[in-house]
Amino acid sequence: MRVQQPAATGLDLERVDGRAKVLGLAPYAYEHPAENPTYLYPVQSTIARGRITAIDTAAAETMDGVVAVLTHLNAPRLADAADKELAVLQSDEVGFRGQFVAAVVADSPEAAREAAARVRVQYHQEPHHAALRADHEDLYKPEQINAGLETDTQAGDPDAALASAAVVVDRTYTTPAEHNNPMEPHTTVAQWEGDRLLVFDSTQAVHNARKTLAPLFDVEVEQIRVVAPHVGGGFGSKGLPHAHVVLTALAAKVTGGRPVKYALTRQQMFFLAGYRTPTIQRLQLGASPDGRISVLTHDVVEQTSAIKEFAEQTAGISRMMYSADHRRTTHRLASLDVPVPSWMRAPGECPGSFGLEVAMDELAEACGIDPIELRVRNEPAIDPETGKPFASRHLLACLREGARRFGWERRNAQPGTVLVDGWRTGIGVAASTYPARRQPANTARIRFTADGFYEVQIGAVDLGTGAWTALTQIAAEALECGPEQVRLQIGDTDLPVATVAGGSSGTASWGSAIIGAAQMFRKEHGGFPSAGDTSEGDGERNPAGKNYALHSFGAQFAEVQVHADTGEIRVSRMLGVYSAGRIINPRTARSQFLGGMTMGIGMALHEQSVMDERFGMIVNHDFADYHVPSNADIRQLEAFWLEEVDEHAGPLGARGIGEIGIVGAAAAVANAAYNATGIRVRDLPLTADKFLT
Amino acid sequence: MEPHQVKVNGVPRVLAAGPQVSLLDWLRGQGLTGAKEGCAEGECGACAVLVARADGPDRTRWTAVNSCLPPALAFDGGEVVTSEGFGRAPGACTAEELHPVQREMADRGGSQCGYCTPGFVCAMAAEYYRPERRPVAAGEPAPDQGPNGFDLHALSGNLCRCTGYRPIRDAAYALGAPADGDQLAARREAPAPTVRLTRFVSERAEFIRPGTLQELLDRLEQEPDAVLVAGATDVGVERNLRHSRPRLVLAIDRMEELRRLDVGTDYVDIGAALTLTEVEQGLGGRVPLLNKLFPQFASRLIRNSATLGGNLGTGSPIGDAAPVLLALDATLVLTSRRGDRPVALADYFTGYRRSVREPDEIIRAVRLPLPLAPSTAFHKVAKRRFDDISSVAVAFAARFDGAVLTELKIGLGGVAATPLRARAAEDALTGTELTAESAAEAAGILAGEGTPMDDHRASARYRTAMLEQAMLRFYAESAPELEVIR
Ligand SMILES: Cc1cc2nc3c(=O)[nH]c(=O)nc-3n(C[C@H](O)[C@H](O)[C@H](O)COP(=O)(O)OP(=O)(O)OC[C@H]3O[C@@H](n4cnc5c(N)ncnc54)[C@H](O)[C@@H]3O)c2cc1C
Ligand code: FES
Ligand code: FES
Repeated sequence: MRVQQPAATGLDLERVDGRAKVLGLAPYAYEHPAENPTYLYPVQSTIARGRITAIDTAAAETMDGVVAVLTHLNAPRLADAADKELAVLQSDEVGFRGQFVAAVVADSPEAAREAAARVRVQYHQEPHHAALRADHEDLYKPEQINAGLETDTQAGDPDAALASAAVVVDRTYTTPAEHNNPMEPHTTVAQWEGDRLLVFDSTQAVHNARKTLAPLFDVEVEQIRVVAPHVGGGFGSKGLPHAHVVLTALAAKVTGGRPVKYALTRQQMFFLAGYRTPTIQRLQLGASPDGRISVLTHDVVEQTSAIKEFAEQTAGISRMMYSADHRRTTHRLASLDVPVPSWMRAPGECPGSFGLEVAMDELAEACGIDPIELRVRNEPAIDPETGKPFASRHLLACLREGARRFGWERRNAQPGTVLVDGWRTGIGVAASTYPARRQPANTARIRFTADGFYEVQIGAVDLGTGAWTALTQIAAEALECGPEQVRLQIGDTDLPVATVAGGSSGTASWGSAIIGAAQMFRKEHGGFPSAGDTSEGDGERNPAGKNYALHSFGAQFAEVQVHADTGEIRVSRMLGVYSAGRIINPRTARSQFLGGMTMGIGMALHEQSVMDERFGMIVNHDFADYHVPSNADIRQLEAFWLEEVDEHAGPLGARGIGEIGIVGAAAAVANAAYNATGIRVRDLPLTADKFLT
Repeated sequence: MEPHQVKVNGVPRVLAAGPQVSLLDWLRGQGLTGAKEGCAEGECGACAVLVARADGPDRTRWTAVNSCLPPALAFDGGEVVTSEGFGRAPGACTAEELHPVQREMADRGGSQCGYCTPGFVCAMAAEYYRPERRPVAAGEPAPDQGPNGFDLHALSGNLCRCTGYRPIRDAAYALGAPADGDQLAARREAPAPTVRLTRFVSERAEFIRPGTLQELLDRLEQEPDAVLVAGATDVGVERNLRHSRPRLVLAIDRMEELRRLDVGTDYVDIGAALTLTEVEQGLGGRVPLLNKLFPQFASRLIRNSATLGGNLGTGSPIGDAAPVLLALDATLVLTSRRGDRPVALADYFTGYRRSVREPDEIIRAVRLPLPLAPSTAFHKVAKRRFDDISSVAVAFAARFDGAVLTELKIGLGGVAATPLRARAAEDALTGTELTAESAAEAAGILAGEGTPMDDHRASARYRTAMLEQAMLRFYAESAPELEVIR
């Protein structure tokens, strides 16, 4: 496959949407003009499981400005109620606390909210289970896990190998529930014009959104238009439509054609917009005294909502990361009366790397080997799971480059020995990886305009990842013109079909389609097109996927300070080196890596959604109590990448950079904290009390 | 009466909204959607805007605040700048050019999804225009400051989930000084907008800005259910999250009688309606213990609005001002139509969110007796480094004669239903020599004071351990001086 020579790509082009954003003029879902809008405010269940026995809406209905009060008794029927997360107001069943049980539509947000407060709901409460436990009685094995992977895998005889291994690490690690918390709350504005639905949505995938909605409302996909030119972050939570999208579109059926606007509050997002499942991971590593791993098992227990299955592929990382002749990975689910978990930045690899990479640190210590050297000794020649060669595996190069830049040689192998001004200080490392995916079913269209611009159209979405900029560059390069000659149009189902901005697949997938369209355009119209000349092109499934294992790799280094008296913990330095194929735009890429690492620091230090199992209630459901990292938490933070072009990653040579920055980050921090204190914390987050002995 | 009006980005706009409408919602309703809602509780700063505040009688200071909390009516007659207002008049740039703050943010990748960006731009612009900001001289220690004197704390109230902050910091540290002809810079040289005595009356709610303390107290006596609003950092959260809708709102944030800072010979009186930022600037470091508190209290955005009166007015057991003021032996000057009534802060709290304050009384000032105890410390333990509520807060104020503690006051927050003085530990140490042994013993006593609880912020065990540690740290910090004395 021919790899495009870097021209416009690789350029340090400023974000094309930067100007609109710094002025506050870029429109997000709530901000598109809507004529004579109505506003929705929901009523959420106050029990975790049971049935609604009565709803009194009289007081709400008679309030000034109220257009409609919807409940399961009067809401329009959906054509398909199989997906219980999306089947809002279709039955009297309550599956988790915080679920929608009614909604008010009114002329003003104030009236909607006030009326919602007057809706009285009575329940028949049934016993519920809301806490994840390793010994949960009805653990079950899902058919498959996220990304269509096998639930369990096994090679060799792990149990026998463990029994005979010279050195064994057998530990259990836990990660808590975490919430994506993009800064823009999930928002939907929906309007029916006859049997056509117009939706302004904060979504990572306009075409997927309408594909999900169409059967629910019994319309063809062409009857739905979803628009999302700017999205204020998502990190996975806006990848799949959640209940509020359906609720808003449903409510728009009873307003006589008036648009309905609904933005979730930050508090509501904790129940209704997806989150990362908590995980309980048992890792067993068996090795020879010199650290060569013969057996690796990774057994995961995690939760799903009883109303809809989501199975995080937590142990997936252990299938390809290190060589071990004997391997086992398993995933078991506890089906609980809790909100529906979903995608959050690097599902699978992110929590899985915490277990695996801390276990590696423990093994290094047990063998008395440097943690980097341990990884060198266990570097596989081929993908252990599939037997395919890696298209590009530069983990060791990342580790070495990172060690050099970070000053790894200054690490004191003996933990708990460095004390500076009352702070115990240490450094740690962890490896990172993320699969390089490319989605088929992407089409791009290129049209030459009368005023001499190339209009490049694709239904891609920029949720902050820099797609506006990267796709402009890719188009310019493929068309061999300047970026200023490209007029990119994205974020609209009226544009050619595109796949989700997720799984680090967006740029590579959409970019391939744009390159295809550009090649077609030049073939059909040559170098001197006339106004109106148009061509389309598709991105195809990456054929290299058949013969190669396609992954990105990285190395995460952290320096941590733990206060000797209070246990307060700070990440004083963090550095990542990544191998992610070609970098389309260094400026946006750097931000993506740093942003991922920062979320990893948040995961390490603060992020935890606390479930009060008595009520099925997430108690810290706002920013006052769910802490995402703030400016002061992030001190020295640096990201570097290897200069490379992955010839197997498609015509772009790029592999995607959205997730890899978070993978391994929390493990690096935990390993550094151990190096600082000699206290091994295996349960995230690393709060101060865990360092007081 | 003239219609209520706010000058936004240089253009007067009629303000027709009740007290339940926040400045943010009003601005967005006007089509100015640059300021965003990310949390509606003052935590994220996506809603930050600039407001024109008095900087002495003759000058104006551009101050960044969270617009999601205060009612729009509180800005009647005021001037507000949003992210949209920078690139054009009255901003410093020609129509094509971005403001320097916006230029740097765009250039350095400080904006990804962009949702947090307008708020960062406003917080950064306030610091850009801070008149005291000067480049840091070579070799001068400047923690959390850029070479251009940019104080990173200015951004402590803005959250970004995308960038990892690094590009934003790069942008902040690259800023120069405002250029000649920068209209926002020039605006600083003229007096702030005069305060209007706003009166909004509707069927459902009333918003009044009384012109005098007397008028305020009269109204309060008639309607003790009225809600006073100072910085609205608590009241705004109540409105947004708990949907509280008071019938009568009395604005006190600009009331002269509550905004005085008097430094006498026997005491310092701090007006209850001064913002924490104003108190910090006004005291200029004269009360070192307060200076230890301010950087740890919420964020700059919040401190630009929050007042001591409001912090004590809520009676929250985890407020940070109370432990510090307890250690400083503060007295609250309560006032009502019956006149002033000084109450020692140590006697003020009576239970969870309850106090001796009568419904018709307000806090007029916080009085600190002079001379101040010279040795002080403030230990706040929170989960996040800044902008977080305390798990435990401990304040010390002590006087030594040689190595003997002649006076010791310890204020505690977060360990009981009310803030409290650690009398037992104080008694154990007062009149004795502070040594490693006596400190260790007192640490045990201190750990036993209060009735800490388990919650998701910290376990009771951890809170207790923190009390103990606070004592040991106080000793450790005093030890070098004591060493010299010995
Ligand atoms: C994001 C965020 C972070 C925060 N972080 C902290 C923190 O770190 N530490 C901390 O201690 N607090 C913190 N707070 C709480 C808050 O900022 C303080 O309580 C603040 O001092 C309240 O002052 P205000 O002027 O805004 O009060 P308002 O909201 O205006 O009023 C609060 C209450 O006090 C009453 N009141 C106001 N003034 C008076 C007066 N003069 N006399 C009598 N009653 C009065 C009001 O009627 C009202 O009931 C935080 C709040 C937010 C939103
Ligand atoms: S919206 Fe988050 S601080 Fe105002
Ligand atoms: S750029 Fe997305 S939250 Fe800051």
